[in-house]
Amino acid sequence: MKAELELIFEAILDGNMPGCTSGVQAALDAGISAPDILQIALIPAMDEVGKLFEEEEFFVPEMLVAARAMQAGLSMLKPLLVDSDVKPAGRVALGTVSGDLHDIGKNLVGMMLEGAGFEIVDLGTNVAPDRFIAAINDQNVQLVAMSALLTTTMPGMKKTVDAIAAAGLRDQVKIMVGGAPVNAEYAAEIGADGYAPDASQAASLARRLAP
Amino acid sequence: MDIAGVADFDKSMARIDAWYQSQILDRPPVRFMAHNAFLQQASEDISQLSSADRRAWWFDVETQVGLFAKSVEGRRFYGETFPVFFPNLGPEVYAAFYGAELVFGEVTSWSVPLIGDWQDMDRLAFDRNNIYFRKLEELTKCALERSQGRFMVGYTDLHPGIDCAAAWRDPQQLCLDLFDAPEQVKRLTQIAIDDFVEIYDHFDAMLKASGQLSVSWMGLPSRGKMHIPSADFSSLISPDFFKEFVLPVHRQELGGMTHNVYHVDGKGVARHMDDIIGLGDVHAVQWVQGVGDDQPIMQWLPLIKGLQQQGMPVIVDLNKKELPQFIEAMSPEGIFLWVAADDEEEEQRLLKLVEGWR
Ligand code: B12
Repeated sequence: MKAELELIFEAILDGNMPGCTSGVQAALDAGISAPDILQIALIPAMDEVGKLFEEEEFFVPEMLVAARAMQAGLSMLKPLLVDSDVKPAGRVALGTVSGDLHDIGKNLVGMMLEGAGFEIVDLGTNVAPDRFIAAINDQNVQLVAMSALLTTTMPGMKKTVDAIAAAGLRDQVKIMVGGAPVNAEYAAEIGADGYAPDASQAASLARRLAP
Repeated sequence: MDIAGVADFDKSMARIDAWYQSQILDRPPVRFMAHNAFLQQASEDISQLSSADRRAWWFDVETQVGLFAKSVEGRRFYGETFPVFFPNLGPEVYAAFYGAELVFGEVTSWSVPLIGDWQDMDRLAFDRNNIYFRKLEELTKCALERSQGRFMVGYTDLHPGIDCAAAWRDPQQLCLDLFDAPEQVKRLTQIAIDDFVEIYDHFDAMLKASGQLSVSWMGLPSRGKMHIPSADFSSLISPDFFKEFVLPVHRQELGGMTHNVYHVDGKGVARHMDDIIGLGDVHAVQWVQGVGDDQPIMQWLPLIKGLQQQGMPVIVDLNKKELPQFIEAMSPEGIFLWVAADDEEEEQRLLKLVEGWR
């Protein structure tokens, strides 16, 4: 890896936002293309962050500061990426289901997906089925990602899957679910396409599910 | 103490006292109750109420005490299960004593963060005239008046320290603050513990003046001072951050209590178990296994056995279907069982099972 990219990679792991943005600037100045910076530094750095999280080397705060640094770098690259022929890995509608206000896990999933090259349509918390459906209709998403942290709000996932089917949109999207009380069995039971136990595996899952 | 529906309170209490010492009187103590039962237990349907009416419902002292009194009337309580009314305005009421607003749902409440800027910390002050503090006093008084011989009265669910700081600041923001502004976080958590002893003692004195024991939402009485320390926020952070930001506050919180029963809410908190026990003032642990892939209980036997080996009494909350298997695999030392049963007959049957546990 080129020295400039190495610095960006390290800055992200350290959660060093100014380090990441100045690194991105230095890389651009050195003539490295925006797609290369994304593919060789940003995305691998977030993969590494995810790995460290799975291994319990990193916890939520470490992940949040790393993702914040990555996002600052990414926002510098975005205008340049539009002009290049890099296509996003996919577009994901992401939200915490009806009645549920927990969003730390959902946000981490969003950050890891973004780090993996996806575009995120963040619907926020307390998202009713019709808002997921509106996102499928209006925002051209290929993936729907739902989070729930309460046993009492989990049924909102099934309602959403059913509502998407009833709206005739089930073939257009893949649906993934997660959150502490959710497991693979439940995902299968409600007819979702996939489950992941943490944000890093959510990114690999999205890569597998994306068209 | 005589309580309607409790066959032999003193005997049950003796079992609990033995358990606090990691000893067994005749069998390990058992409490019949589902964890988070409060989630299903809204005793009146308030789902259609406006948010203002819902708040009024929570604040309606007569209704709250009345509903509770009705729910225990004519019931029999088996094992170490006691009817305990604890005044409840949700787990973040401690944060509300300092000016945070609570939003009321059907079965719980949560607070609205109020520290946007660090300067906002200057406005945080504990006020005995605070509306939530006053309401808890009212609930306690009313319950005490009506409790005689019918039920016990406890104190509310108090979460000072890091959880209170998270409520004031917002949990995700506080995660970032640990890196961005560690000194401010320490100041904030210090504010969140400064008045704890005074607040605890205030309610403790009200209860003791009426001859109550020390008891709260766990329904686990103590003749001294019983407290339930916890730090759910710690499920989000590393052991290093736990040592730096949580332990110093716990030290101030735990001293002076007779029985600290630490609420270990899932594997994220269990990561800090060594530090928690290392505090020295923790007298027992309540293990909460979680849901989804964190059930069944059998996967946690190493953790529970580890506690047992250290002589740390532990509350284990399990499904009645798991009970025979659990009893088979474990020795009873230091175990306090919480089990949800469907009816009184089943409770008696489960109790028989525990009586034979060696
Ligand atoms: C922080 C917290 C809160 C904060 C939330 C702040 C916020 N902005 O999110 C506040 C204080 C507001 C809160 C409120 C409540 N909470 Co709360 N809360 C927690 C706590 C401590 C941590 C949750 C968390 O953020 N974990 C960290 C994240 C990173 O983990 P995660 O969400 O599981 O996400 C990971 C994976 O699951 C996965 N994932 C998540 N989403 C998705 C989605 C997809 C598609 C995929 C693939 C993967 C995936 O990836 C993530 C990262 O690895 C837990 C306790 C615990 N130990 O879990 C309780 C907990 C979840 N809360 C609980 C309860 C009961 C409540 C309240 C009802 C009561 C109360 N007053 O506390 C209210 C409900 C409000 C509402 N209507 O939603 C209970 C739920 C019990 C149950 N059986 O349902 C818990 C378990 C605590 C407990 N044991 O009682 N809570």
